[in-house]
Amino acid sequence: MMSQEVKRFHPAWIVVEFFALMKNSIAIFLFLFVLKINSTSTWIVWGRYIFLIGITWTLILIVLKWFLYRYEVVGDSFVLKEGVFVKEQRTVSFDKIQNHHSKTTFIHKWFGLTSLTLETGTTVEGSAVNFPVLTVSEKERILSRMLDKAPSEDEGDQDELEHGGEKKVHFRSNKKDLLKASFTSLSFLAIFPLLTTIYFNLADFFNIEDTAEGAFDYLLLHWWMLILLFLLAMVLSVGIGYLQTTIKYGNYEISDDVARIYIKKGVGSTSSFAISKEKVQAIVVEQSLVKRLLGLASIKLISVGEMKTEEQETSSLYPFMPKHEAYLLLETLLPHYPIQEKMDRFPIKVLWYKLLVPYYFTIIAAVGLFFFKKEWLWAAGVVFAISLVTRVLDYFFTSYLRQGNTVQIRKGGLTNETFITHYNRIQQVSVEHSWLQRWFGIATLYFQNRANPLHISELNGVSKDEAGEFYNWFKGKRKRLVRRERVS
Amino acid sequence: MYMTIKEPSEKIANQAVQVWRISNTIGHGIAIIVLGILLYCSEHFHWYGWIQVTLYIILGIIVLSAVYSIFIEPVFLQKTWRYEIDEDFVQMKNGKWNESHTLVPMEKVEFVRTEQGPIMRKFDLFNLIIGTTTTQHTIPAIPAEKAKWLKVEIAQLAKVKESDLSEREEE
Repeated sequence: MMSQEVKRFHPAWIVVEFFALMKNSIAIFLFLFVLKINSTSTWIVWGRYIFLIGITWTLILIVLKWFLYRYEVVGDSFVLKEGVFVKEQRTVSFDKIQNHHSKTTFIHKWFGLTSLTLETGTTVEGSAVNFPVLTVSEKERILSRMLDKAPSEDEGDQDELEHGGEKKVHFRSNKKDLLKASFTSLSFLAIFPLLTTIYFNLADFFNIEDTAEGAFDYLLLHWWMLILLFLLAMVLSVGIGYLQTTIKYGNYEISDDVARIYIKKGVGSTSSFAISKEKVQAIVVEQSLVKRLLGLASIKLISVGEMKTEEQETSSLYPFMPKHEAYLLLETLLPHYPIQEKMDRFPIKVLWYKLLVPYYFTIIAAVGLFFFKKEWLWAAGVVFAISLVTRVLDYFFTSYLRQGNTVQIRKGGLTNETFITHYNRIQQVSVEHSWLQRWFGIATLYFQNRANPLHISELNGVSKDEAGEFYNWFKGKRKRLVRRERVS
Repeated sequence: MYMTIKEPSEKIANQAVQVWRISNTIGHGIAIIVLGILLYCSEHFHWYGWIQVTLYIILGIIVLSAVYSIFIEPVFLQKTWRYEIDEDFVQMKNGKWNESHTLVPMEKVEFVRTEQGPIMRKFDLFNLIIGTTTTQHTIPAIPAEKAKWLKVEIAQLAKVKESDLSEREEE
């Protein structure tokens, strides 16, 4: 079967768009019809007419848009047709799709619907194929069409998939994990800004400041009451924090089959994410200060597809996993990325080098201040001190490791980040050395990875031997990777 | 040799020195003219004193930059530029004080293009621009015949497909 019926979005799309329109125009509506209801000035009256015409027009447009947006699966690509006045037809080949994610909000759930986004690799805005509302069965249909047809370049994989490449669940979040997560994310502190906001909002309406002061004096006298209140607030905020975390990270599940990794999460409004293992460009292990204290780590999978902040969270394996567990999980999911926990710093001479590099910023600051604000010249000293500290920290928190087929670099300070990539995911490499670096026998490495935005790794201070070896390593590895297959 | 990296074999055209000298002279000339006009204005219309000081500083920097990029830089840039294009890679090397080696696998090349400005036309030279999924690189000042040949060659070579050995680890 090469082609099948042409489809439209689920009619609920009209409702969703309608609500979005209402949300966007409510402020103008309130202004024109409530706040200025008694105004008869010309521009308000005209404004009302224009507003009504605009709303009607947009409503018609929404319906037309829905009517004219069609999609179908032809062979191994999607064909999308859209446009009211300007017709547009787009063909998206399945093998260009880097990852897909779907999100089911409360509203979706009520109507038994969901959403689906298929990310393509291009950086052009709106290159993703987006289905804002569709039925669950339709989603399954699209995905199954896509996954069956997706040309897996490895024959072995295809066979195993067809013979029941089953999903294996590797991780499910439990209550203990969630409790830990809620502490790590410090969400229990959210109550304080909340309370302050409530207080000031109330203060705007009532004259509670005096009352509050009176109450405060009273509390100071009865300090035990203050402690009790504080404890109550703490318990409440921990509870709220836990609830928040549960909504966001509850029912977290990581699973995989031969070809893909799946992540599902959320209570109430759920979202899911799937990425083909081949399309993982790199792995990032991130540890903030709090996470380091608690021995937790968050692991992100870097992919070419566009990632908005929200999805980026989904594409990280569980962000609050005990470090060792996370490393083990990674090893089972992606055995080609062996991570070493222990990494060595550069030799101490690199620190001297880093300290000797000209302090351009300090010089500019000093010269500028000298001419324009001589009495502030001491500020240049502060700038100098900051750059000194930054350079020392930079030295102490940078390390590099190359083993087998992967490169691993670690950078950071308060939050440290370990970046691992495989040689066949590196797009290009550069080696650079200045005269000062030659004097110290070191060089700078650059390598680029596809991601959105482009990821450039820069490593300053690698020994000259390693820099040369890195270059030749990449060259040698690439050469063996390529099997000549001329097209045409 | 500082590192154990094999130097690419091909040089760029000798006339590159002249091309860069002419274009840098024009560029700096325009900048100096604009600054001159501004200086005249600041004198004539009595602008704030610090504006004049700043303008003189910028003028000084431009003069220094002109001396460097007209008399010194083109020679070294031409002497140190090397490239090599073979079945598997595009290799580039340039710089004297800041030496840089770049290696781009051929399958990552997305497009190739030649470009020529008016000054380059006079010398019958082309820039070869090689674009990858992530960035683009320019190999400057290649003789016309060679540039056209390279363009066709790269376009042919870049058609190769990356065979999927990714799942088969080799060590």
